[in-house]
Amino acid sequence: MSVLIFIKPVLGLGANINSVDNATVSTAQVDISEDENVFEGAFKGIEKFYNYTGFANATSGHIVMIFIGIIFIYLGIKYDYEPLLLIPIGIGVIIGNIPFVAGNQTGIYETGSVLNYLYFGVVKGIYPPLIFLGIGAMTDFSSLIANPKLMLLGGAAQIGVFATFLGALYLGFNLPEAGAIGIIGGADGPTAIFLSSKLANGVNVLADGTTVKNLIGPIAIAAYSYMALVPVIQPPLMRLLVSKKDRKIKMKPPRAVTQKEKMIFPVVALILTLFISPSALPLLGMLFFGNLLKESGRTERLAETARTKLIDIVTILLGVTVGASTQADIFITKDSMLIFGLGAISFVIATMGGLLFAKFMNLFLKEENKINPLIGAAGVSAVPDSARVVHTEGLKSDPSNYLLMHAMAPNVSGVIGSAIAAGIILSFLG
Amino acid sequence: MINILLTTDPISEGYVILITGLLIVFGALVTLALFFNYGLPVMLYLYKIITKGKDKKISEIAVKGDEDFTGEISAVIGASIHMYFNEQHDHESGILTIKQVKKTYSPWSSKIYGVQNKL
Repeated sequence: MSVLIFIKPVLGLGANINSVDNATVSTAQVDISEDENVFEGAFKGIEKFYNYTGFANATSGHIVMIFIGIIFIYLGIKYDYEPLLLIPIGIGVIIGNIPFVAGNQTGIYETGSVLNYLYFGVVKGIYPPLIFLGIGAMTDFSSLIANPKLMLLGGAAQIGVFATFLGALYLGFNLPEAGAIGIIGGADGPTAIFLSSKLANGVNVLADGTTVKNLIGPIAIAAYSYMALVPVIQPPLMRLLVSKKDRKIKMKPPRAVTQKEKMIFPVVALILTLFISPSALPLLGMLFFGNLLKESGRTERLAETARTKLIDIVTILLGVTVGASTQADIFITKDSMLIFGLGAISFVIATMGGLLFAKFMNLFLKEENKINPLIGAAGVSAVPDSARVVHTEGLKSDPSNYLLMHAMAPNVSGVIGSAIAAGIILSFLG
Repeated sequence: MINILLTTDPISEGYVILITGLLIVFGALVTLALFFNYGLPVMLYLYKIITKGKDKKISEIAVKGDEDFTGEISAVIGASIHMYFNEQHDHESGILTIKQVKKTYSPWSSKIYGVQNKL
């Protein structure tokens, strides 16, 4: 019924039918002219209706983006590449690129639309700290506490962030935009969204009066895409930079860590890191808060919620809205292409930085304490995918060499390192 | 916020941010590493002294995990518990079959003894 109520006026049928009913029709000729009016009105209505459909408003950009959304979904389902991220983002890309007539509070960039309200959490950087809360509640820092020197590998991989930042400056982006683009090298989606929402949000005005571009969509998509492609990007670099002999290095099993140490870690790490980089407060504060919920042993209910329901809800909202923010007219630009290029380079540099620094550390370590340089690649966050990739590569060289536990240390250290890097960039450019 | 760099060109600022940024990231992580390498054992030692008395020897109360109980052993235990909990339910075939129910004969439900029956 409601469909009829909508279609009748759109097709122009309602008014004509009523006029026919009410008119006093006496001759056949009048009947014909009324029928002509009805048909003319109907065609006009159909034309008007057609102009509102996606078919009339679609551009090649929309079609390309919908195709990209389908590829994301395909990669997530077929190859299991980060399906929890790629499927919401993929469907979001399709949602964001359904063509529509502007002005009806439909699109994500139209004030008052439902999608716009959900996007608020991205624009204001609300979702990333909540994701970090969940990550903290599910992360075990034992391997890091057992072997603290591996923290340095998480720092080495951050060279990707700063090198990309410099690259973006050379390509003509202004400082805040370059800072937001650089964080792609941190291989951490929530951090990338958080920093881009603060620096490249399309709202901030620079000292020279220019407004920064809104790069949240391209940066988030690039970060998540390359995170999903970690199993493709990292192995060739590992084989290129680490010799077969080094790949076979067996590390000493990490010592068992006491519960007391695990409880102290989030509190001390929170205070130390945030005193150094206070701008990372929303991210690191929530990360260590979540970890304390897990390790305290008294708040299991809260920890369970943070690492399951809460992070799931926020991931859904974040994925769909970030995907939907890639509206073709805003997303398909030269800048986006440059960001994708820079993102790929930043991942490569970050991985190389971790690998080379691990080799450098080995120069100063005794034979029995040497580390397998492969674990340096896990210094780019991308938890836990890059640690898994390291483990798999280690097994290929020596089927009895289990590197997963060791790789988790630089992996979680990379999360802390990229959040600190984001805080530093924010304090310089925010 | 730090606004000391606004007068120089962006590339120079970029280099400054690159160097200081990397130094700060490393500084933060080195501080953490040092704390957990050296600071935490001292803290726990002091804690033990405060709570358990001063007559304890350092070697008795140093933070020391069981050397034999390595991470690999805990990983194996964890994996076996995980497998146990995941495989303890019985697996069903998933095939649904509808069996014909045969009722025993009863004259009470027999149609040939109905009131309206006409032979």
